[in-house]
Amino acid sequence: MGGTRPYRFSFVLLGIALLLSGLLNISSGSVDIPFDQVVSILLNGGSGDTWSYIIWEYRIPKALTAILVGGGLSLSGLLMQTLFRNPLAGPFVLGISSGASLGAALLLMGTSLATGLATLSFLGDISLALAASVGSFLVLLVVMVMAQRVKDSMALLIIGLMFGSISSALVSVLAYFSSAENLQRFVFWSLGSLGNLSAGQLWLLFGMVALGILLAYACLKPLNAFLLGEHYAQSLGVPLKRSRMAIITATGLLAGGVTAFAGPIAFVGLAVPHLSRQIFDTMEHRVLIPAVLLYGAVLMLLCDTVAQWPNSANVLPINAITSLVGAPVVIWLLVRKRKMIF
Amino acid sequence: MTGSGTSRLSAEDLSIGYGKRTVVGSLGFDLGPGLLCGIVGINGIGKSTLLRTLAGFQPKLSGRIMMGDRALEEHTPGELSRELSVVLTEPPASRNLSVRELIALGRQPHTNWLGQLSSLDREAIAQSLDTFLLRDLALRKCHELSDGQLQRVLIARAMAQDTPLILLDEPTTHLDLFHKVQILKMLRQLAHDRDKTILFTTHEIELAIQLCDRILIVDGQENPYGTPCELIEGKYFERLFPPQMVQFDPSTGSFKVKK
Amino acid sequence: MIKQPFYTITIFFLALACLLGCGQRKGPVTGAPDGQGPKIAHAKGFSIQKQGVLTILNVSAPWPGAQKGFTYLLAPKEKLATMRIAAGTYDAVVGTPVDKMVLTSTTHIPALEALGTLESLVGFPDPDLISSPVARSLVDNGQIKDLGMNEEINMEIVLSLSPEVVMGFGINDTNRAYETLQRAGIAVVYNGDWVEHSPLGKAEWIKFFAPFFQKEAEADSIFSQIERAYGQAAELAKKARRRPTVLTGGLYKDVWHVAGGESWFAQFLRDAQGDYLWADSPGSGGIALGLEAVLVKAKEADIWLNPSAHTSYAALAAANPHHRQFRAFGNRKVYSNAKAKGEKGGVLFYELAPQRPDLVLRDLIHILHPQLLPDHSLLFFKPLD
Repeated sequence: MGGTRPYRFSFVLLGIALLLSGLLNISSGSVDIPFDQVVSILLNGGSGDTWSYIIWEYRIPKALTAILVGGGLSLSGLLMQTLFRNPLAGPFVLGISSGASLGAALLLMGTSLATGLATLSFLGDISLALAASVGSFLVLLVVMVMAQRVKDSMALLIIGLMFGSISSALVSVLAYFSSAENLQRFVFWSLGSLGNLSAGQLWLLFGMVALGILLAYACLKPLNAFLLGEHYAQSLGVPLKRSRMAIITATGLLAGGVTAFAGPIAFVGLAVPHLSRQIFDTMEHRVLIPAVLLYGAVLMLLCDTVAQWPNSANVLPINAITSLVGAPVVIWLLVRKRKMIF
Repeated sequence: MTGSGTSRLSAEDLSIGYGKRTVVGSLGFDLGPGLLCGIVGINGIGKSTLLRTLAGFQPKLSGRIMMGDRALEEHTPGELSRELSVVLTEPPASRNLSVRELIALGRQPHTNWLGQLSSLDREAIAQSLDTFLLRDLALRKCHELSDGQLQRVLIARAMAQDTPLILLDEPTTHLDLFHKVQILKMLRQLAHDRDKTILFTTHEIELAIQLCDRILIVDGQENPYGTPCELIEGKYFERLFPPQMVQFDPSTGSFKVKK
Repeated sequence: MIKQPFYTITIFFLALACLLGCGQRKGPVTGAPDGQGPKIAHAKGFSIQKQGVLTILNVSAPWPGAQKGFTYLLAPKEKLATMRIAAGTYDAVVGTPVDKMVLTSTTHIPALEALGTLESLVGFPDPDLISSPVARSLVDNGQIKDLGMNEEINMEIVLSLSPEVVMGFGINDTNRAYETLQRAGIAVVYNGDWVEHSPLGKAEWIKFFAPFFQKEAEADSIFSQIERAYGQAAELAKKARRRPTVLTGGLYKDVWHVAGGESWFAQFLRDAQGDYLWADSPGSGGIALGLEAVLVKAKEADIWLNPSAHTSYAALAAANPHHRQFRAFGNRKVYSNAKAKGEKGGVLFYELAPQRPDLVLRDLIHILHPQLLPDHSLLFFKPLD
C-alpha cells in the first residue's frame, strides 16, 4: 500500500503529545505537588521524602500502566475492527472482558457458592488478576475452537458476542446472590483501576502488550489484505485460518492482559481506531498500528489525569471517564465529516 | 489469433457443487497462454460456482483441475497467489482506500513481510494505472468512484498482481454498453499483449462471441468448449434459450426476439 | 486441527499463572514463643503473646474462610531500633506507641476513643460515616483526613500522611491498595473484629488495639467493666416471666433477610431472653427467605426489630404492603437501629454496638421486658415513626 513518509511529521507531533500528557499526568493528583518540585524530583531521581515517593512509586507506575492500557486496548480494537470489517467492533467482541468479569466475579462473589475458590485467595492480590486472566483465556479458547470450524468471520463475531452474553448472565446470577460487600468489591473492580501495580505486575503487563504488538506486526500484510475482504485476501496468498488465529491471539494478549490487571476499561478500544483513521485518513496498517498505540496512550493518560481529580480525596472511576471524554470526541469527528467511511 | 503452447489451466471431467449437491458435472476445458475465455450459461447454472472452484475458494467434487503441470489443490495459498488473481462481484470491504492503495494491495504476493513496495512494485502499479486509464483518479477514495471506475480499479489490481492467470466473475454487470465493451476490450488486450490467460463469467453472450478466443457454455449436459466459430457451427447457442422466446442468428452471432 | 496457536497460548497462560503465583508473601514463621499473654476469653479471631516487652498479635480469622492467619510484632520504638528481624518472619512490624494510625472501619473508632488515643487517627475513608461526636470534631477540624473510599483508598493522601499503621479489613486478600502501602513501608494490619459472632467476643477486640498504644491495662479494665455490665444485664433478663417472640429484617423486592441463628444479633436476643423465631437455624450471617416462609413463621411475632433501613411505618408499608400483615406492625411494636444516626448520617449501631454489647443488651431488655428496666432510654433501637 502507500508509504509512511508523509506521516512522519504527524508522528513526531504525537510523540510530543505523549510526553506532554505524561508530564501532566504525573504532575497532578490528590496531593498538590508544585510543578517545579515535580520536575526537580524527576531529574534528581528518588530521594527519601514523601513527595518523591509519591511521584516515583505511585504516579509514574500509574502513568506507565495508563500507557500500556491505552495502547494495548486501542491496538486490539483496531485488530478486531479489521478482522471483522466492522466499525462497531471493539477489543471485547470476542467476550474477553465478559470472561474476565466472570473470573473476577467467581473469585469475589462466588466464595459462598464454591468455597474451593476461596483457597485461591492465598495467592494474594494477584489472585484477582489470575482469575480474570483465566476467565478471559477460557472464553477466548472456546472462541478459537469455533474459529477453526466456522468459515465466516461474521459467524465468529456473533459467537463471540453470544459467549459474552453467557458470561455476563452468569455474573448477574452471582451478583444476585452476593452480599453487599462482595458486590461492592466486584463493582469497583469492574470500574477499572490503573494504580497499585507492583513492578513485577507492570513488567508482566508490558510483556503481554509487547508480545501482542509483535504479533500484530507479524500480521501486517494479512491485516491490509483483509481490507478487501476474505476472498480477496485468500487470493493474495493470506493463510486465512492462521491469520485469524494470530490476530485473535494478539487480541487476547492485549485486551486480556489489560483487563486482568486494570479491570475492563470501556470505550478506548472502540474509539481510538476511529480517531486515528479519521485523523490520519488512511487504512494502511503500517501507519495505523503505531498511530493507535500513541493515541491510545495519550487518551488514557488524559483520562487518568481527569479521574485523579486534582486536590480531591475521591478518585473518579476510570471506566466512566474514558467514555465521557472519548465519546464526544468521536461524535464531533463524525459530525464534522458527515459520514463514516470504513 | 494468439494462443499456443502449453496448457495453463485445464479441467477434466470436473464436477462442482456443495457437499452432496452437484451443481454441474462433466466440465472440461484447456486454456493456454494469451487467451481470453468467456464462460456463459443461463442464470443459476453454476458459472460463479465454477469460478470459485477454479480460484480455490471451494473444493471440487470430483475430476481434475490442473494448473500448468500441477493439480490446483497442491498449491499453497502463497503459490496460488502468484499463479492466479481474481476479480469478484463482492465490493471491497473497506471503501476508504484510495485507488492507488487498492491497486498496491495487488503486489502483496511479491513484497516483504512489511509490505514495503520496491521500485519493481511501483512500476507494476504505474503500468496498471495507465492501462486502465486511472492516472487521474490515483488519489481518489474508492467510495467516490462510479461503478465503471471501481470495476476498472479492481481489474487493475488483478493486473498489478502480475499473475499468468486472471479469473473474473461477471466483470461487466451494472455497466452501460460502452463500459461493457471498454472493459472486455481491455481484458482482451491484456490477454494478447501480456500473454495472460483470462477467464470470466458473463451474461453478455453476444459480446463474448465477438471478443473471446474461447467460450465455455455451461448448460448442465455437454458443457461444450471451443472457439466461438466452433460453437456456432455446433449449433450450441440455439439450445441455450427456449426457441419460442429468442432465436440465435449464426450469421450475425446474435439473438433475435421471436415476436 | 487447533495445534500450534492453541499450544502456544496454553503454555503462555500457564507460564503467566506461574509467574503471577511467584514471589508471594510467604506464611509467617513464628518462632516458638514461650511467653504468656493476656487471656482472651471470648474473641476467637486473635490471640496475644508476650515476650518480654515484645507483643505478638496473631489474627487467625481476618475474614471468613481465611486459609491463613496473620502475625504482627509490636515492640517499643526504642527496642525496635536495636532489633534485627528477618524479613518475612512477621506480616508487619510496628513500633509502639503508635502516633499516626489510619483506620478503615467505624467499628474501630470506639476502641480508640475508649482508650483515649483518638488523636493518633490521621485518616479515615468515608469519614461521614463516623457518628462519635469526639471523632467528628476531629474530622471537622481537619485532623482526620478524608481518604476517599475503602475500596479505592486514595493512595497519594495516605502516602503523604505517612501513617505508621493502616488498620485494614478485608473480605478477602485481594486489595491491591494494601500491597502498595506495604511496599511503601507502611504496616498493614488486618482487623477481624467483624468476623466475631459473640457479643463479648466483638467487644474484646479492644484488647487488640491496646498494645499499639501500650494501653493494655486500660483495655483490660474497660473490657472487664463491659463484661460485668453485660453479665448483670443478662442476669436481670432471666427474671422475665415470658419470652416474647422476635422477628428481624424486611422485604426487599422478593427477598427477606433474617439474622441467622448463630449470628451476633441472634445471640443478643438469646441473652435478652427473647424467643428469636429463627434461633435454631444454622448460619452466622443472614438467611435469605421468601415472604411466604416469613409470614408462616412470624406473622404473630410480638416484636419486630430492624426492618431493613426503614424508619417509619409509612415507609415500611410503602416499601411493601405485605409488611402490614404482621401483628407487630398493627400493634406498633417495630423498632429500628437505623434511626440513631451521627451528624452526617452514619448509623450509630454499626459503629458503637460491637464495642458496647452491654448497652445493646439493655436496650433489648427494655424493649422485650419493659417492666425490668422501666427508666432506661433507648440508645440504639428506636420505635418507628
